[in-house]
Amino acid sequence: MTRRLLSIAAAAAFLAAPLPCRALDGLMEVPFFMEAVRAQRLPSVERRVPDEPAIAAFGRPGQRIGRQGGDLRILMASPRETRMLVVYGYARLVGYDYTFDIVPDILEAVDVVEDRIFTLRLRRGHKWSDGHPFTTADFRFWWEDVANNKELSPAGVPRELMVDGEPPQVTFIDAATMRFAWKRPNPYFLPSLAAPSPLYIYEPAHYLKQFHKRYADPAALKKLVERAGRRNWAALFNRVDNAYRNDNPDLPTLDPWVLKTRPPANRFVFERNPYYHRIDAWGQQLPYLDQVIMNIADAKIIPLKTGSGETDLQARYLRFDNYTFLKQGEKRNAYKLHLWRTAYGAHVVLYPNLNHKDPAWRELFRDVRFRRALSLAINRHEINQVVFFGLALEGNNTVLPDSPMHRPEYRAAWAKFDLKQANALLDSMGLSRRDSRGVRLLPDGRPLEIVVETAGESTEQTDVLELIGDGWLKAGIKLYSRPSQREVFRNRIFAGETQMAVWTGIENGLPTPDTPPDEFVPTSQQQLQWPKWGQHHETGGRSGEPVDMAAPRELARLREAWLRATARIERARVWRRILEIHAEEVFTIGLIGAVPQPVVADARLRNIPDQGVYNWDPGAHFGIYRPDQFWLDKLVQEAAR
Amino acid sequence: MLGYLVHRVLIMIPTLLAISFIVFVIIQLPPGDYLTTYIDELRSQGEQVSLDRIEFLRKEYGFDKPWWEQYAIWLVGMLQGDFGFSFEYSLPVKDIVGERLWLTFIVSFATIAFTWVVSFPIGVYSATHQYSWGDYGLTFLGFLGLATPNFLLALVLLYFAQVEFGISVGGLMDEQYIEQPWSWAKTLSVLEHLWIPVIVIGTSGTAAMIRRLRANLLDELRKQYVITGRAKGLPPFRLLIKYPLRMSLNPFIADIGSLLPQVISGAAIVSIVLSLPTTGPMLITALKSQDMYLAGSFLMFVATLTVIGVFLSDIALAALDPRIRLGGGIRR
Repeated sequence: MTRRLLSIAAAAAFLAAPLPCRALDGLMEVPFFMEAVRAQRLPSVERRVPDEPAIAAFGRPGQRIGRQGGDLRILMASPRETRMLVVYGYARLVGYDYTFDIVPDILEAVDVVEDRIFTLRLRRGHKWSDGHPFTTADFRFWWEDVANNKELSPAGVPRELMVDGEPPQVTFIDAATMRFAWKRPNPYFLPSLAAPSPLYIYEPAHYLKQFHKRYADPAALKKLVERAGRRNWAALFNRVDNAYRNDNPDLPTLDPWVLKTRPPANRFVFERNPYYHRIDAWGQQLPYLDQVIMNIADAKIIPLKTGSGETDLQARYLRFDNYTFLKQGEKRNAYKLHLWRTAYGAHVVLYPNLNHKDPAWRELFRDVRFRRALSLAINRHEINQVVFFGLALEGNNTVLPDSPMHRPEYRAAWAKFDLKQANALLDSMGLSRRDSRGVRLLPDGRPLEIVVETAGESTEQTDVLELIGDGWLKAGIKLYSRPSQREVFRNRIFAGETQMAVWTGIENGLPTPDTPPDEFVPTSQQQLQWPKWGQHHETGGRSGEPVDMAAPRELARLREAWLRATARIERARVWRRILEIHAEEVFTIGLIGAVPQPVVADARLRNIPDQGVYNWDPGAHFGIYRPDQFWLDKLVQEAAR
Repeated sequence: MLGYLVHRVLIMIPTLLAISFIVFVIIQLPPGDYLTTYIDELRSQGEQVSLDRIEFLRKEYGFDKPWWEQYAIWLVGMLQGDFGFSFEYSLPVKDIVGERLWLTFIVSFATIAFTWVVSFPIGVYSATHQYSWGDYGLTFLGFLGLATPNFLLALVLLYFAQVEFGISVGGLMDEQYIEQPWSWAKTLSVLEHLWIPVIVIGTSGTAAMIRRLRANLLDELRKQYVITGRAKGLPPFRLLIKYPLRMSLNPFIADIGSLLPQVISGAAIVSIVLSLPTTGPMLITALKSQDMYLAGSFLMFVATLTVIGVFLSDIALAALDPRIRLGGGIRR
């Protein structure tokens, strides 16, 4: 069975049939580079783009071909966030499109056989941002000299590339073709290449060899290490080679915008990549915007600066409670405020600690009747109205309605406010004795008082807890909220000292059947309802505790089944079963979801969707909407003057 | 006098060593280290970091060593002029401060000048016209300035500038000059932006200085030598300048000790609110993210300046005012 992912470029070229096999004849020189080309400091555009460039799709409603030129200002809170341009630029070997399908981008095509043999084909003539050819040699350098070098990668080949503890067999067929083959399916491979923080399986070998022990002249390398003040060549190599951190202006890249400012700085300029591989159907090289200018300001005043129009595109560090303030400045500062959907499974979630170290509480939290009763005793509608102006989605911590896996009952199960049923469930557990306050007593005589710990960062969470407390008291449960500090917060949960915690829900509420179901299965210590089981999985059994409860064990078994499945329908079936178990077992108590994310964009900025999904993975924040296709409509600007 | 100076210089060494130890311990006190705060920051925005990578970084940053060993490395390095490595910026500490330091100097000196220029005449006027309407009015203003926290003033100013005029008053220069080499135009731009932070930072210092000068001058004005001078027919202004005013200048000199560190660390919170590219915000973020070598070296620098500043002001006081005695207490 062979699945073939045709590149958008090829598809577009087919549709626009009259185009010759090479779409290059009609290429237009980029005005920004006109002078450099005339002065012969830069080759002309035909010789800069690959032989078969990617032709950008403009398929989303309202998307139009734009004009090159203009600068975009953005605000970030720390000089470290130069990496956000890698995220927003979103040039990946394969990437998600706006419908969350994985399609080739830098690659011309990927052939996938049985989900285990991946043949990657590069675009011939593709070049790094310094004009050096980008070929399989760059992949080979990474594979042989970085990933399999004990000094540079002490942990070995990245985890995403290991299947049953075995690395892939990598063959380099020619300068543009290579193959990664495993014995069993590797469903993590393509998603990790498409991630906002991607797995880089290629590196600019021509630049990095001067820092590599195998290639560099030892004396010269020693001098470089000393000048940089690093301990050894490996530390220096890691410093210069960090495509994701994006803080080395000398490192060649394939991204649409290239860092031009050497840190440390408070203002970073990113210039368009002259060798970028994407063009539009009129033959204009992308990105449309010449420069991105990143100014650094404290996170707390970014909303204020956004409101006074000091940024042209901003979502990071804006929160829903900034909405009214931002709306006020919309007219005066000529920006447009969009509300995007977020992809968290839920925005506020309670996590009962199934690994609590007190056996009495542990047994209680592990009793499904107890968890259901807690969920039933919460008036989610009230929370939505009081804290979120009724704009959010009430219900469990599960997949969102936009996901193909969504079913209404997953979100609604045990999430209706029903004190009577909650009380009945608690009574049936033998918790019918109460003290003078009406608070139920545990069998050992202790009152049923639950301390919910927060990371102490948002008053939103404490407001919500205040509202929950009223409902729970009517069910005979006393709630205390306890703000802490994030570090302490996590460590107490990991140690099993926290009874219950409040945090955001699952990160990716928009899974497809091909998305690994890891977030729903004990796989990570960060899963606050079962940190010790997660740790056990994460460390391969070296620490933590093995799963000793039936339903989570079933989840782990289902994950195995998902990994082994070869057919999409089979994966979908496994996913449904996992979601059903979660809905029935109420491992986490989701309260409210789909809280909108404010996105502020210059009123002249085109091709940015009014209604988008703001998510990290998949999504890359703006990435899947391809900011290289955003452009500034100057006509509007002139009309306004 | 010479013995006193040598004694004072020598005592600085254990003082600074003790400070370095306390600084290091306090930075290490909050749970976790730079990596855990870094990972948390990533996670709060949805990013993930692999465990392997964390383990690798932990080793590279030397967090696997015990704290006393880390302290020793830092201390020995500092003596050799190597201030360690900033995790946040992935650069040696000494490469980071750069232009920020100069801008901080500019803002701080402008603020000090503003404080002195404003408080001096007002203080003298208040003292010589005690309990007049002018005195009451200026005293009222002074107390207002003293009572309003600087950062609040900055916030109020920002808010009104934004709501009333739709402009932002933050920053120290126009955007196009940021990270550019110094030029005439850039200097002008800095001067244009300078007055807001100077006023915001300077108000409370000015108010405090007015009060101190007024009180000191009032004490002096009642003394007999003033009455004698007046009886002998000295012109009032000349008398004022020549004798009591000089006596009441002590607070200005004693202030030098605390001025020097202020010049460097700046008004951190105001700088954050007004997004000034000075060193204060850098210190705060370094402390928040537990970027320990950057924060530690910075605090050490400030501590050294404080120690030197106090030393200088003590000498100046001793030189200017013969009534001040050297050595603590008289040995009998």
